Amino acid sequence: MAAQPQSPVDLDSDSEPFDLLRVPGIGRLLSWRHSRTLLQIPPLILGAIMIVHGFFGPSLAPKNLATTLGWVQFRGVLVLVLLCAGNFFCFACPFMLVRDAARRFFHPVLNWPRRLRNKWLSVGLFVALLFCYELFGLWSSPWWTAWLIVAYFAGALAIDSVFKHASFCKFVCPIGQFNFVASLISPLEVKVRDKGVCSACSTKDCIKGRYASGPELVVIQSASNQRDLIQRGCELALFQPLKSGNMDCTFCLDCVHACPHDNVGIVSSSADGGMAVDLVRSGIGRFSRRKDIAALVTVFTFGALMNAFGMVSPVYALEARMSRALHVRNPAPALGLIFCVVLIVLPALLLGLAAWVTKAWSGSQLALLPLAVRYSYGLVPLGFGIWLAHYGYHFLTGMLTVIPVIQSAVASLGYPLLGEPRWRLTGIPVRIVQPLEVGILVLALAASLILIHRLAEEDSGDDVRRAFAPWVAVGILVWCAALWLILQPMDMRGTLMAG
Amino acid sequence: MLALSDAFAKPVTGAGVSVEGDMSHAGMAPVFYQSKEVEPGRYRSDIKFSMPGDWTILLHVTLADGTKVERQIEVPGVAAN
Repeated sequence: MAAQPQSPVDLDSDSEPFDLLRVPGIGRLLSWRHSRTLLQIPPLILGAIMIVHGFFGPSLAPKNLATTLGWVQFRGVLVLVLLCAGNFFCFACPFMLVRDAARRFFHPVLNWPRRLRNKWLSVGLFVALLFCYELFGLWSSPWWTAWLIVAYFAGALAIDSVFKHASFCKFVCPIGQFNFVASLISPLEVKVRDKGVCSACSTKDCIKGRYASGPELVVIQSASNQRDLIQRGCELALFQPLKSGNMDCTFCLDCVHACPHDNVGIVSSSADGGMAVDLVRSGIGRFSRRKDIAALVTVFTFGALMNAFGMVSPVYALEARMSRALHVRNPAPALGLIFCVVLIVLPALLLGLAAWVTKAWSGSQLALLPLAVRYSYGLVPLGFGIWLAHYGYHFLTGMLTVIPVIQSAVASLGYPLLGEPRWRLTGIPVRIVQPLEVGILVLALAASLILIHRLAEEDSGDDVRRAFAPWVAVGILVWCAALWLILQPMDMRGTLMAG
Repeated sequence: MLALSDAFAKPVTGAGVSVEGDMSHAGMAPVFYQSKEVEPGRYRSDIKFSMPGDWTILLHVTLADGTKVERQIEVPGVAAN
């Protein structure tokens, strides 16, 4: 522990860091033990409305709450909250509210299988979700969108009814993984206020939880200990004194409520989310040794390209040509090939080549794979920037379209209380949003380059440029692809399956 | 051009026909046009699709006796000019 480098926050923390829990009003609300439940209720109600409207409402996506709220509002607000605050969407996750209610009746006794205690399953599910999104045109289908929400509720409920702790969040949930990676660049993180207080703490309630009869008794009582639990500790195995950054943190605030010393806050994070420093992180280990998290980060970055890639004309032309060449009418093989190229072949080539050049130029002692793993984290800001530009575009250009959909939905119940639907309402014009997208991408590239430079500084003190240059090339290539994508005219097809 | 006829294939005249074009993706503004009857039972609209992609045309028809009829037409793969 003594040899471990300090976190970046500690290095420049002469002044008191910002702490959201100290802000009057909102701090008091979030510090309230039932704040999460309170803030989970609106998303739960919205989720229920989206399911009902998705199944029984209009089949046209722009007129349905499932698709409008899900693919325009939810995604847009999600990336903006991640950018401006932190992982508050996991905090308000309605799936966990249902799970917690179910756990009043089911007390899981199994631990998540040891072989699956990594991100590989969730990386696969994340890719599968992106693939289904393109193949079935989820954005254009209220029915499939409603099924997706139902599947999410069912999946969370089933997994966390069988397995202990937050197995679904940590090892399964694709949205959660997206939020974990994106929140690495969020300005806020759940963090101890004073590590000295933790050193003197003997109970470690932030990880163990607080029990009426004391934590020692818990070990003996096993499954029946649920009755004694007053406040859970971290269900994602993040021990606060050794936690750094937002990876795997759902902002559930269990640690805040469990800490008997009021020593956990939602404080300002370091600009690079602690990614430049290769700390041993509680519940995670070192980033440089987590190939699964590097794969998640890579899918996050190149998946951002893929997700936007599926909505421009040249891609439809490419898919059509590939389908003809493959002599298949079903678009799945062509789309599968494009996914393989964009999410596996291209990253492997780019990161592998950059790692090879880095090793050759800088004389790094690391092997190629550890080098690629280490520097892949440098692409997180750029990947997030691409997601932000894409989802921000839909949100900003269509932010008001939910109003007529709500008016129409209320009127369809026989109560036109909100007046005639104003279908002409849209949002900010494209001519204003598009320059914003370019600005976001420029800032995202700059942030990635700064992070890559810090990684290079950590690794090769003598000549940073030799380790830095290959990864700059990777960043610029990805950035150019993203810029080309957002400058393409939008071409929204309902479903590739329809041709 | 839209041709309206009744169950006996007789042209339906004097109807009000408004055309709404929606994209397949939520968050996009629909386009609205009013059709003009250019000959008995035949109504014309010049629709300008605001972007390439899959569109759905909704026809909102109000017959002379006030009866309202709605029809949906898929227009897949609208290409850019």
